Amino acid sequence: MKRKTNLKLSLSLVLIMTLIMLTACGNAGTNTGNTGKTDSGGGTEKATLDFLWFSDGNEGEVMKGIIKDYEQANANVKINLIEVGFKDLQTKLKTMISGGKPPALSRITDTGSFANQAVDLTPYVDSAEQFEGQFIDSLKPYYVINDKLVAAPMDVTANGLIYNKTLFDKAGVKVPTSPDDVWTWDEYTAALKEVMAKGGARYGMVWDVTPHRWSTLLYQNGGSILTEDGKAAAINSEAGIRTMDMFKQLHKDGIMPDSVWLGGENPNNLFRSGTVAAHWAGNWMISNYKDITDFEWGVTYMPKGTQRSSVPGGKFLMAFKDSGNEKEAAEFIKYLTSKEVNSKYNQESLFMSPRKDSAVLDYSFGKEMYQVFSDELKNTSPLAANDWSRQTIISKISTDLKNNIIDVLSDKATSQEAMDKTAKLINDAIANQ
Amino acid sequence: MSGGQSLNRKKQTGQTRKLAIAPYLFVLPNLLIFGVFIVIPSLLGLYYSFHVYDGLNPMKFNGLGNYIKIIGDKEFWTTIGRTGIYAAIVVPLIYAVALGIAMMLAREIRMRGLFRAIFYWPTMISFIIVGLTWKWIFGDSFGILNHMLTVIGVEPIGFLTSPFWANAAVIIATVWSRAGFFMVIFIAGLQAIPTDYYEAARLDGATGIKVFRHITLPLLKPTSLLVFMLALIDAFKAFPLMFALTGGGPGKETTYIVQYIYEIGFTKQELGLASAMSVMLFIIIGGFSALQFRMSKGGAV
Repeated sequence: MKRKTNLKLSLSLVLIMTLIMLTACGNAGTNTGNTGKTDSGGGTEKATLDFLWFSDGNEGEVMKGIIKDYEQANANVKINLIEVGFKDLQTKLKTMISGGKPPALSRITDTGSFANQAVDLTPYVDSAEQFEGQFIDSLKPYYVINDKLVAAPMDVTANGLIYNKTLFDKAGVKVPTSPDDVWTWDEYTAALKEVMAKGGARYGMVWDVTPHRWSTLLYQNGGSILTEDGKAAAINSEAGIRTMDMFKQLHKDGIMPDSVWLGGENPNNLFRSGTVAAHWAGNWMISNYKDITDFEWGVTYMPKGTQRSSVPGGKFLMAFKDSGNEKEAAEFIKYLTSKEVNSKYNQESLFMSPRKDSAVLDYSFGKEMYQVFSDELKNTSPLAANDWSRQTIISKISTDLKNNIIDVLSDKATSQEAMDKTAKLINDAIANQ
Repeated sequence: MSGGQSLNRKKQTGQTRKLAIAPYLFVLPNLLIFGVFIVIPSLLGLYYSFHVYDGLNPMKFNGLGNYIKIIGDKEFWTTIGRTGIYAAIVVPLIYAVALGIAMMLAREIRMRGLFRAIFYWPTMISFIIVGLTWKWIFGDSFGILNHMLTVIGVEPIGFLTSPFWANAAVIIATVWSRAGFFMVIFIAGLQAIPTDYYEAARLDGATGIKVFRHITLPLLKPTSLLVFMLALIDAFKAFPLMFALTGGGPGKETTYIVQYIYEIGFTKQELGLASAMSVMLFIIIGGFSALQFRMSKGGAV
């Protein structure tokens, strides 16, 4: 008798558990955002916009403040900020879109991959030409795809050179102070060697492990990943091989540590440890390094090869089809890219504005550093944006390019072999488009 | 009287029917989870594997195209080979270490529970954390190990930058994180061996090594087989630990098959191709499982 009740009891427990699980799953299925639905709250119909977001620094907090202002001014709109890590953004976005519940809008770097799912903003702006005219020209290929206005720029980034002032001073090495006296590459490596010898730096420089940062040297040598018309690979040109040789030499000479490109060591941590003379990163590192107190650091001009060049990058806003709130999302994007709001956002986040009329903002920190970065952008090879805006090709070969560079560093391939191999992959990717 | 009997019988059949349904009801929750989160996605994966699909734009049917591409893909087979070598080293090591620890801790020693807990502990930590922990030990510039070497005046070693050391680091971390799990299985196996065998052996004057070879090992055979296969399947599915420890580097030295598939799917956005590779991996691992099933006669341990 007792056993029977026990059995009954455990069975009913099991059933209850199952029920709970099923309802939980069922709810999870229906609760994914109120996209396209309207809450009838306070008598007015409210549109709820899901806004997918990632943060590198404090820009998420700044955005929350801007959203609050916008909601106060537009009582019929509620904005639901969904924050994810930068690495997860693409996967999350894909899942939402292919699950039929796209967010109304998203912060995005990879505009090319999502161009087909984006709302064309053209009908929502007064004139596309005028709208595009507000922003730095080199960004255009990122957000105008197949003559459609698929996104709008929110901030612009530049690669540049952050250096450890304390170590340079100790070694008595001067850095360039104006665009007129930038180092040549030979002068620059000599300077680093001196800082290593006299200033006690363990390494001359560290460099983020990404083809994007590596390509800075490629453009400075007058090369590019793709030809200007984007129809063929150009990476195995003489300039590409020379870039690879130089990069290898830097490792061979001990100026760059093997541990970053070969061992996955974090270059930020190395620079923060105060033992590295320079870090090639981007302007987004300024707010990251703000809290360094052990030594002084600054930003200086990158050396020139056959020319000066940085690599532009940008963060954009994209609205998505079938969210049910396309119009509201487009209106909100227009608001965020307007001079006043965009300047507030970039100034408080310590970012660079993509707007021509806000080139220099009144930053609370590192104003002179931003002048260097914006000068780097002004002197950038047009081939850089031309390459990196073709995200559909770049995303297919980025990992391979990185691995092929590493193959050269670990003596598994010559520069010529590695670049030829990459070129073949690039041409395959172009053919399969 | 007879009426009472038939009533009894009815009651009984009712009960047996209830008992017949009961086990299925117990299995139901797990079956639901397994179905929703494993079976359905697997079938979807199989479906994707015959298409060109980037996870976003409409799928294009590609027939066996993906599979043909994989068969001709040198990189894929190199990665499978690399995974095989890793498994060939790591599986015997785990086996030996786990069995060794189990032999020591199956005996009646003081603080046995504490030691068992210590060895079992690492298996409860997620692989990502294990990877990061060992990264702090092996790291080139920040690693504790290199710091100690520098203190005693030895040149630091590029543990994560030289291909040999990076592989060694991955293998050490793998053994450390898995040995405890298999130790538990071995302890159970060892305790199941009747003690009179050992007593008889001791009376015959057999030494420790002989006892181990002629009694322990043969009687542990089913357990050994299970451990071997589980460790082998584990090794073929290895990914998060390397991802956190070496990122698959230097170069591709520690990029094993799952990471390779992950990169094809999520970095290169070729989900169809990646799904086809997963199906191939499934077939390989399925083969191991079938082999184990046959060798252990349907799991009759």
